[in-house]
Amino acid sequence: MTVETLRLADRLGQCQETSADAYRQHLAEAAAAGWRFAGTHVSADRDQVRTLMVAPGGETRFHSAPINAGTAPSIVDLIPAATWDEREASELQGVCFSGHEPLRPMINHGPLAEWTVPVHGGDVHQVAVGPIHAGIIESGHFRFHLVGDRILHLDARLFYKHRGLERAAEGADLTAASAYIARACAACSVSNGLAYAHAWEQALGLVPSPELARTRTILLELERTWNLLNDLAAVCAGAGMAAGNHHFAALTERARRLNAALTGHRFLTGSVRVGGSDLIADLAAVRAAREEIETLRGAAARGWRAITFNSTFDDRMVSTGVITAEQARRMGTVGPAARAVGIAADARTTDARLAYEGFQPVVVERAAGDVKARVEQRALELWQSLDLLDRLLDRPLVSAEAEPGEGSGGLGGEIGVGIVESPRGATSCVVERASATDNLARVGRVRLRTASFANWPAVVAAATGDVLVDFPLINKSFELCYACVDR
Amino acid sequence: MFALLRDLRTLRRTVDLPAPGRGRSLAIRHVDAGSCNGCEHELTLTSSPYCDLARFGIGVVASPRHADVLLVTGAVTARMREPLLTAYAAMPEPRRVVALGDCALGCDMLGTPYDLVGPVDSLLPVDLRIPGCPPTPDEIAAALVEFLDAKPSRVSGGQPAA
Ligand code: SF4
Repeated sequence: MTVETLRLADRLGQCQETSADAYRQHLAEAAAAGWRFAGTHVSADRDQVRTLMVAPGGETRFHSAPINAGTAPSIVDLIPAATWDEREASELQGVCFSGHEPLRPMINHGPLAEWTVPVHGGDVHQVAVGPIHAGIIESGHFRFHLVGDRILHLDARLFYKHRGLERAAEGADLTAASAYIARACAACSVSNGLAYAHAWEQALGLVPSPELARTRTILLELERTWNLLNDLAAVCAGAGMAAGNHHFAALTERARRLNAALTGHRFLTGSVRVGGSDLIADLAAVRAAREEIETLRGAAARGWRAITFNSTFDDRMVSTGVITAEQARRMGTVGPAARAVGIAADARTTDARLAYEGFQPVVVERAAGDVKARVEQRALELWQSLDLLDRLLDRPLVSAEAEPGEGSGGLGGEIGVGIVESPRGATSCVVERASATDNLARVGRVRLRTASFANWPAVVAAATGDVLVDFPLINKSFELCYACVDR
Repeated sequence: MFALLRDLRTLRRTVDLPAPGRGRSLAIRHVDAGSCNGCEHELTLTSSPYCDLARFGIGVVASPRHADVLLVTGAVTARMREPLLTAYAAMPEPRRVVALGDCALGCDMLGTPYDLVGPVDSLLPVDLRIPGCPPTPDEIAAALVEFLDAKPSRVSGGQPAA
């Protein structure tokens, strides 16, 4: 990574639109030019809505519109991916979005008719599932509208686990606030923690040293590795294939033990901090980790061969839970789910803050957007992660600090953005400082928009038209977190 | 598939627990009352080949109506309070409550007072506490096996003992 590329990628653009029309027009233009939507949030002062857009080259830019008398312009007609963001802001920050009709509640669960989509017809019936599910699963409610066994429509009602983490973090200094982000979700603690750290470091004008970037990249790939192994176990469970489930569950256990051996925590929690890394591993520890990576690769490859040559399993996956590339683009789907329809976007390609020089996203050959494509995509990404770890674990891990760089945040260092490719896709974190002159660097506003948040609408789209019994399998093929969404 | 089954046969349990054969069982209903998903991920791995909790007659059942134990993870959120109480009300007697993880125990719960109700024991009588953030599959398994061994059965001949 050259300083020049970092500076380029690090530049946080801002457009301070003064009117709703200008805001909408600029966003429409950005979307038409291929910029990706990465979140809408309400500013720390609660006087603006800010929409984050990301260029194909990784450049980031905010578009802001004033909130007048509690009302902001909606963009869902231009960018449907903003739907959940606006619904969330309307409930958590009390902002009304003009043009967003109907603005259904998503967090506070009122009467059924308020949040479900009306479905009519003689044969239509409903099946309500959750919030408590039959297995060991996070809490969330699904309301299926069915004709016979076929899913006509699905309303996903999440946020049962909403803890108000972002609001609780407001006013805390950057270190204290990081606990709220780290505990938003254990499965994505590195991804979320890194997005948060990158956001602060951008606001404070810090850039990671090469050693810091390397340590963090290792942590992120370790997180991806255990998640991908767990995803493969889960998808086998979703299809009722016990042998595959047990094989990959055993590998997930080994991967978590590896995490613990290297960092002291099975979920790598606490290993990411703003401004540096205290993680130390001597040569013997790094070598042992690398050997374990090789063992995992061999065992995972054996398991993969066994499950892919199983025709009953294959039958369950082919053309089940399809999303099209067009749907994925509209909904702003990210990560393996998007790559499985042939969208070769991966935040690692343009991540100048981590050690991903020369990274190329992989896309499965048969990018059909069904369960099979998502599962095959996962396997490809697992091999890629193991390769990266093998390359990066070539020397001891030393403590490292971020250094003052030339890039400083937009809006005079008051705001920073971090975008990280989590195991489920691009996660963005926005931090607004309580005050730019505040020595403590306290949080005025933090918003974590995870890949799970971005991808839940895709689960709904994938389930539509399929039969109810395939829903667990479809759901597992995305394997999204609820905790990451609910926060 | 045969290769997989052969592989699985070579895996050995690595958790040091007293030998099974106690002729008892524990049917668990898990409720996530507002976790970070860490406790769930570790609870899931208590059935991995390394731990294999099922050999002790301990398993997860789909409905609270079939459960002996309500195992709760997470600090209870305002929106999970009702579902949690409903699940508890649906259980047959005798019933037990297990609080799994530091959040459920009320240590260092994160969130706003508006969104969180409190630890599990602010709503239900807790019989077993398993600390950790999250506790490992081995720790969860050991605590549940000990719990199963320690509790004298209150059911004889299909009727609750007096
Ligand atoms: S105890 Fe720890 S792992 Fe368990 S839900 Fe709470 S924060 Fe997550």
